[in-house]
Amino acid sequence: MNYQFKWSVLWSGQSGVWLLQGLITTVEISALAWVLAAALGILSGALRTVPWKPARALATAYVEFFRNVPLLVWMFFWYFGVPPLLPRAVQDWIFNHGAEFWAGMFALGVYHGARMSEVIRSGIQAIPRTQFEASVAMGLTTFQAYRLVIVPIALRLIVPPATSESLNLLKNSSVALTISVAELTFQTRQIETYTAKAIEALTAGTVIYLVLCVGIAAIMARVERRFAIPGLIARGG
Amino acid sequence: MKRMFSVVVAVAVALGLSLASSVGAQQDTLAKIKETGVLTIGTRTGSPPFAYVNKNNEWVGFSIDLVEMLVKPEVQKAVGKSIKIEKKESTPPTRIPLLSSNAVDLIAGTMTDTPQRREAVDFSLTFFYTGAQFLVKKGSPIKGVNDLAGKRVAAQQGATNAKIIREKYPQAQLREFPDQPAAFQALLQGQVDAYTNDGIQLYGLKAKAPKPDEWDVVGDFYSEEPYGMAMRKGDAKFKAAVDAGLKNGFESGKYFEIYEKWFGPKGELPYPMTPQVKAYLLKQIGK
Repeated sequence: MNYQFKWSVLWSGQSGVWLLQGLITTVEISALAWVLAAALGILSGALRTVPWKPARALATAYVEFFRNVPLLVWMFFWYFGVPPLLPRAVQDWIFNHGAEFWAGMFALGVYHGARMSEVIRSGIQAIPRTQFEASVAMGLTTFQAYRLVIVPIALRLIVPPATSESLNLLKNSSVALTISVAELTFQTRQIETYTAKAIEALTAGTVIYLVLCVGIAAIMARVERRFAIPGLIARGG
Repeated sequence: MKRMFSVVVAVAVALGLSLASSVGAQQDTLAKIKETGVLTIGTRTGSPPFAYVNKNNEWVGFSIDLVEMLVKPEVQKAVGKSIKIEKKESTPPTRIPLLSSNAVDLIAGTMTDTPQRREAVDFSLTFFYTGAQFLVKKGSPIKGVNDLAGKRVAAQQGATNAKIIREKYPQAQLREFPDQPAAFQALLQGQVDAYTNDGIQLYGLKAKAPKPDEWDVVGDFYSEEPYGMAMRKGDAKFKAAVDAGLKNGFESGKYFEIYEKWFGPKGELPYPMTPQVKAYLLKQIGK
């Protein structure tokens, strides 16, 4: 096969604008979903370790239900399944105001919240039990012990796996194109259909994802160093 | 996934093709048919009513009937003996390579005649004409392409009509879905106000909807999708035979009988022929 490369398709016409728009949408949806995932993950991850059975059961149910159904199904669930539960007027309003984006954001956030939860639980369980017992012995309530001692330490322990999970979230945001969210992958396909130059368009998309992810990984590495507790967490390198 | 598959198939066929062409391609299709007694057509298995495998497991359809009843007699006349029609499956990414590799002689399915494709293949007279329209809920204020301001319109990503809406009707809120089922579901549930695609496809969707009476196909064609039969480029004698077959069909009215059989009120998919389309088809033979 004789494939004629024509890299100029990436900056001629509207391609550049499309890629930029796609990048912005990807970053927006991922950032919002990440906040949701982190909140749900910390909450349910902590609940899975508390000495109260109903809370553990609830958190376990959330995690197993949401992480064991494919993300694509969740996209369709939030876009096609949830709106019919709302009143007609509300439905119309949200359909006119970016229902696709918000459905995608919830799908991504709730799904990754369940996965994040496991990361956080393993962090909490890595802390010796005596730490919790000592906190309670000092007069803290269970909630205070989690808020002031256990969770802050756990969050420092789990930075590396949480970084991986966050990068997964960012890349998984491309699944939102199935419900018409014009994110980065959507725009690369758009360029492909306009120019019939698939390899150039895919390369541009790949490079942008790569730069984005490497950038985030670098920031997280700094965060890890900055917040490490001297003497408590062993550091390699 | 499906897209990936298409790419793989296209690449595989292209590789085979480069081998085949080095062996030596046969140019004169009529001579080939005369020798083998077979006209091989590339057609579809899942595009009712153009070409599909029906409930009785028969490979039938409008495009296949046109070949059997109109093209075959002309080709027989040209080669001076009776011939058989053999059918092979062809899909959008494989049909041009199949043709160029001599695996099939004629593509008779749902192929739109476009200027880009004309650089690779020759097209017969147009045998079916459709264009982009809108599928909407009955009673919708959308009556055509000029009523789209502020409306949510679904389209298939990569389709010509999505491109037209984006460029010429930016006042519409365009929602692009990677495939037809998702876009149609969005219409059924009210996520979008209209779904745009080729009219004939919309009639097919309407027929498949849970309650077909609740939906309407509206609007004049705002894009042109003429379907033609494709042949290897530069084979004038074969093209003349195929065109003669279709021309006779238009002149004798046989074509319209076949149309009625598939698209008439009792047909597989009722799709009334508009005067505009009829005039277009007849204009091809100078009427």
